[in-house]
Amino acid sequence: MRRAVLVSAALAAVAFPSSAFAHAALLHESPAYREELSSAPRNITLRFDQQVDALPNAIVVLDPRGVNLALRAHAIDRGLVAPLRRLPRGPYTVRWKALSSDGHVVSGVYTFGVRVPAAIVTDAVGAEGPTTSEHIVRWVYLVGLALFVGGLGFQLLVLRGAAPTRRFYLIAGAGAVVVLETGIVAFLLRAEDALQLPFRAFLYGDLSSIAGGTRFGQAFIAMELGFSLAFAFLFLAWLTDRVALLWPALAIGAGFASGLSLSGHSSVSRAEEVADWAHLLAAALWVGGLVQLAVVVWPLLPELRRTAFRRFSRLATVCVAVLLAAGTYLSIERLPHLRDLWQTGYGQVLIVKLALVALALAWGAAHQFLVLPRLERGGAGNGLARSLLGESAVAMSVLLAAAVLVDSKPPPRQLPQPTTAAHRR
Amino acid sequence: MMPRAEMVHWWFATGFLIIGLLLVSEAVVGTEVWGRRPWRRYLWPGTCFLLGVLMWPVMTFFTNSTIHMAAHGAWAQVLMLAGGVELARARGKLHSQYWRLCSSLALLVSGGALLVHEQQHWLFARSAFLHHALGWTLIVGAVFPLLHAFRPRSFVAATGFATTFLVTAVLLYCDRDTAQIFGYISRNAGYPHR
Repeated sequence: MRRAVLVSAALAAVAFPSSAFAHAALLHESPAYREELSSAPRNITLRFDQQVDALPNAIVVLDPRGVNLALRAHAIDRGLVAPLRRLPRGPYTVRWKALSSDGHVVSGVYTFGVRVPAAIVTDAVGAEGPTTSEHIVRWVYLVGLALFVGGLGFQLLVLRGAAPTRRFYLIAGAGAVVVLETGIVAFLLRAEDALQLPFRAFLYGDLSSIAGGTRFGQAFIAMELGFSLAFAFLFLAWLTDRVALLWPALAIGAGFASGLSLSGHSSVSRAEEVADWAHLLAAALWVGGLVQLAVVVWPLLPELRRTAFRRFSRLATVCVAVLLAAGTYLSIERLPHLRDLWQTGYGQVLIVKLALVALALAWGAAHQFLVLPRLERGGAGNGLARSLLGESAVAMSVLLAAAVLVDSKPPPRQLPQPTTAAHRR
Repeated sequence: MMPRAEMVHWWFATGFLIIGLLLVSEAVVGTEVWGRRPWRRYLWPGTCFLLGVLMWPVMTFFTNSTIHMAAHGAWAQVLMLAGGVELARARGKLHSQYWRLCSSLALLVSGGALLVHEQQHWLFARSAFLHHALGWTLIVGAVFPLLHAFRPRSFVAATGFATTFLVTAVLLYCDRDTAQIFGYISRNAGYPHR
């Protein structure tokens, strides 16, 4: 009998509609996300897809000093409303939380402005900006990108015609997995900073305003989709022994290498985004190629050493030229004055990066002008694998500096002087 | 335009149903007969791998909570892992039968993600019941590929593995708050466009 009751209860729980798998989701907010209002709103209204209850401090509206200007919120039909004190001109951050019908507390954050543009949600009041953890995650991401895209580039452009080795697939595959995982971690770290919630509450934090409303979120979506597809192509190439399938993997990986350009603070114009993309792609091809040369060709394919070294030297020359051209352009764009190079944090990180780049270039030049002629004359190239690994290590430290640089804010640009007519208005 | 959450669950339920039916067929006729046409060996692992690839858009676009995102990300990865390993076994790239343990791991991770994701008791709400039922189905189902790794000819292991997918599909089809196909929509179910 008891069993029958339990089974009936279980079937009833499945059979009768209550709430779907998803917890309460925010459907609409007023003022809207990043809305610039011409006058101060009287209320904040949040509409959800199901009935919610108001918790203490369910809606908090913070001015730039962090002062809460919202009064006690109350629940309405599938929503929450909080009356507001008079909001003076300025940007505002809304932090909300609601108890959904399945018992979970969902939370979120968004921004709006009164007669001024709203801040992006990752710069909301309370957000502290990129942390050391984010720098490290971004560096690991860059290393993964280099292993994946650089490895594919090396296989297809340098070792063209040679069958890919198992080790090549392992390295490139590991790179793709690292890119996917660090992409998720980087997004969650940025969201955690924006939401400013304890870990347990963060688990039910609404990330949609960050995923859909910021460049970082859009970059995250594009990168995750792109690299999952690229990884699938890499896997199918290994599975079917069809090298041709590596080309779409390389094309997708190279195309989505600009994820960081989309997400960083520093990108402004379209030209800068393109330069950033070219800079990053050239670096990935260079560093990933070095790793393949040292870890795959030297120990596993001795008959290809000379050819591979010669071809990679050519590819590396092109990569370095693109790196320098794009890097110089970006430095000029982002540092309006020469003194910014040593007076701002961005400039100081750039100096460290340039020093490391100079070291890597000198190392590469030694390979190009001292080792290559020796190999051409039939030399064995003893110890070259270790030297290549050394160059790779320096190049990876350049990526660490690049990871810090992407998260740093360049000095503000001088705004163009208003025209006389505009001034009069 | 975003599809409704339950709609996406049904799509994946259909994928799991296909996998389950393929595995049942293989279990009924036996691996030798099933493998007489080589392309059949790729069917369920290929579907599993494809479902993993398709789970990435779900992970990135359904971000209304961190735990959902993390859980969908975990499912995307383990589906690709399990499908990829079985594809490689079918192709002859991987030989050891112990690679079957990856399917076991995938089911364990998937079930664990469902249970960690649900903090209420079984009968708190229908969604809570489904989360628990799905989680435990997958965790118990992890025993079957484990058994299969050590006893490749076991009929129990093969049918149990297939049944795990069929039950998962049925439970996913139960997520249907605003489904007019069932003829009844609760007032608590939310706005029609959800």
